[in-house]
Amino acid sequence: MSARLVPPGARELPALTELRLEVRAFLAQQVAAGAFVPHVDTWLTRWNRDFTRELGRRGWLGMVVPTEYGGQGRTYLERFVVTEELLVVGAPVAAHWIAERQIGPSLLRYGTEEQKQAFLPGISRGEVVFGIGMSEPDSGSDLASVRTRAERVDGGWRLTGTKVWTSGAHEADAFFALARSAPLDPAHRHEGMSQFIVDLRAPGVTIRPIISMGGDHHFNEVHLDGVLIPGDRVLGEIGEGWSQVTSELAHERSGPERVLSTFQLLAAAAQAMDDGRLPTDPGLGRHVARVAALHHMSFAVSTALENHEDADTAAAVVKVLGTTGEGDIADYVDTLTATGWALDEELDTLLHAAILQRPGFTLRGGTNEILRGVIARGLGMR
Amino acid sequence: MATDPRELAAPTTPDPDLVAVLTELFADYRATRATPTAVVDLDRGLWQRLEELGLTRLTGSESAGGSGGGWVDAAALLGLAAAAAAPVPLAEHDVLGGWLLEAAGLPNDGGLRTVCRPDPSGVALNVTWARDASSVVALWEDRDQWRVADVPIDRVGVEERRNLAGEPSDTVEFDLDDLEAGIVVDHAIGEQFHLRGALARSAQVVGAMERVVDVVLAHVREREQFGRPIGRFQAVQHLVSDIACETALARAATDAALARAAASDWTDPGMLFAVGVAKSCVGHAASVVVRGSHQVLGAIGTTLEHELHTLTRPILARRSEYGSLQDWDETLTALASSAGHDRLWTLITTGRAKTQRP
Repeated sequence: MSARLVPPGARELPALTELRLEVRAFLAQQVAAGAFVPHVDTWLTRWNRDFTRELGRRGWLGMVVPTEYGGQGRTYLERFVVTEELLVVGAPVAAHWIAERQIGPSLLRYGTEEQKQAFLPGISRGEVVFGIGMSEPDSGSDLASVRTRAERVDGGWRLTGTKVWTSGAHEADAFFALARSAPLDPAHRHEGMSQFIVDLRAPGVTIRPIISMGGDHHFNEVHLDGVLIPGDRVLGEIGEGWSQVTSELAHERSGPERVLSTFQLLAAAAQAMDDGRLPTDPGLGRHVARVAALHHMSFAVSTALENHEDADTAAAVVKVLGTTGEGDIADYVDTLTATGWALDEELDTLLHAAILQRPGFTLRGGTNEILRGVIARGLGMR
Repeated sequence: MATDPRELAAPTTPDPDLVAVLTELFADYRATRATPTAVVDLDRGLWQRLEELGLTRLTGSESAGGSGGGWVDAAALLGLAAAAAAPVPLAEHDVLGGWLLEAAGLPNDGGLRTVCRPDPSGVALNVTWARDASSVVALWEDRDQWRVADVPIDRVGVEERRNLAGEPSDTVEFDLDDLEAGIVVDHAIGEQFHLRGALARSAQVVGAMERVVDVVLAHVREREQFGRPIGRFQAVQHLVSDIACETALARAATDAALARAAASDWTDPGMLFAVGVAKSCVGHAASVVVRGSHQVLGAIGTTLEHELHTLTRPILARRSEYGSLQDWDETLTALASSAGHDRLWTLITTGRAKTQRP
């Protein structure tokens, strides 16, 4: 058998399914009660701090955070099923998304004891909201080209530069910023970078909206004008920023949010076909099959990560296939609908949002072109 | 509160000792076989070797002279044999024909079997390896009953034809008396046959596609143009990446269906959906893999002497067996639309539209 790109499949056992059904029942009741309106791409576009706090009360945030830091001390697999259930129902999860997915695990791995005590309990309660500051106006896929400067001063560091595409910065309490703490050495581009925990309300921080093409405000430009970062708000080691931000990529790239961003649209299309509001078409089955296969693949990657196996290439495979597929669902449903045919407010709302969000699917978290390169490296071609 | 991952997820992998034996066996076969031909005939020498190792009856129960293997192991055998383009009727003889005989309580002398579903007039089309079989296992829908008959080859008419892969794919005509004398079996057997056939084909196609990925990777490392291996070009890297990704997705879908089949001995009501997902993902992957691999291999990959067509032709031939890609996508569409908005996710996670507590 050839070297496998993706870990072998794994079957979900009853203990996990129990949790899945518990979350599903709660969410069905929330939808019925009108606590939120299901939507697409909710992990970027739907903020609801009340809902986030309610998840915290139920023990569905900070799931992989140990109990001594206010978390649940559970497994990545348990978090996986909770995440899937939240996404398929189109719940408003953006407020805690970044903290839950990236910030918590990074703090656990690289944070000081004081930092863990300071942030993890609030993250696990859904009260502390984080963003992430990596991209810059001239630094997208080529992250090593970041120009935000960190200069050592008495008592800490001063950060100067501009971060862009920071989702939710206008709502968040803090973010992780990647900055150059030493000048760029063209021979060793990945050296000299560091991560800092930045209070977004600190003097010198200016947040400006970047309005998306549909008129919505999710992204921001964050200017850092000599912002003072206390010495105890360096994350991990000075100079180790690159390895720190790339070490957690498998978690970031293989999750169900890379597959399910348009699931509510797919479900609405299935219903519309059953009701005769859309023509019956085998393309629905094709897309459902891909979502099902990706659900298994994403679960297999989570199982491998749970067992501390390397899954960087497999995660890139999930992300390339998943983000392409979730965008294709938007385009597919669009090709089935005809204006002047039938009024379907719910389907139209989901479809229009999905089409406008779609370009971002294959860009965020590493473009699919970069990821195909990652896969080619995994295959031994580079 | 469960925190032990072993209580949460059970990886499903074939027996590593079996995989090691098979890997060596087929590597040996690949190294010693003749150059590829346009028409492909049964390799009796290989069949005998497989028989001696107990592999031609891998899934037969031990009481019936089989090796008592499960579907996960059987799929590994089918996949590795397909990767070696081995011209042997493992699916027909063991997981389909052998199973039907056992389900009907008919004796199995171990003679080479193929399998088919004749129409009401007793004719079956595209019966692979029929001319080479000692008898043909027929599953026949007679009014509202399913019958299984084991009919000796000298009692059927065989019109020799070949499929896209150049393999025997004959038209078989039965004497209706022989079919009517078949043993009545449970309806579940009749319904499962199509699913078992579709999943066996999926396992074979995935195995062949995984070998295509290896052939492609070897080529892009060796072949140089413009002074460097073509695998250094980003355009080629992306093409190969897409081939590998689609193959991986087909593998994930097939493994999930195999795990469900193995865990429930095919009784899980979600099998139709699970097999449909596998057949759909495998079939669509085949388009990308066949097109892309021939593009990467260039003109040499289109020649008779090259290994590639020994893989791509069976990939295309088998993806259309036990239901076309369109048939399966329509089946999934019907399941998905009847599940509707509120139960689509339940369908995806369990194969059924109704929630069932574990």
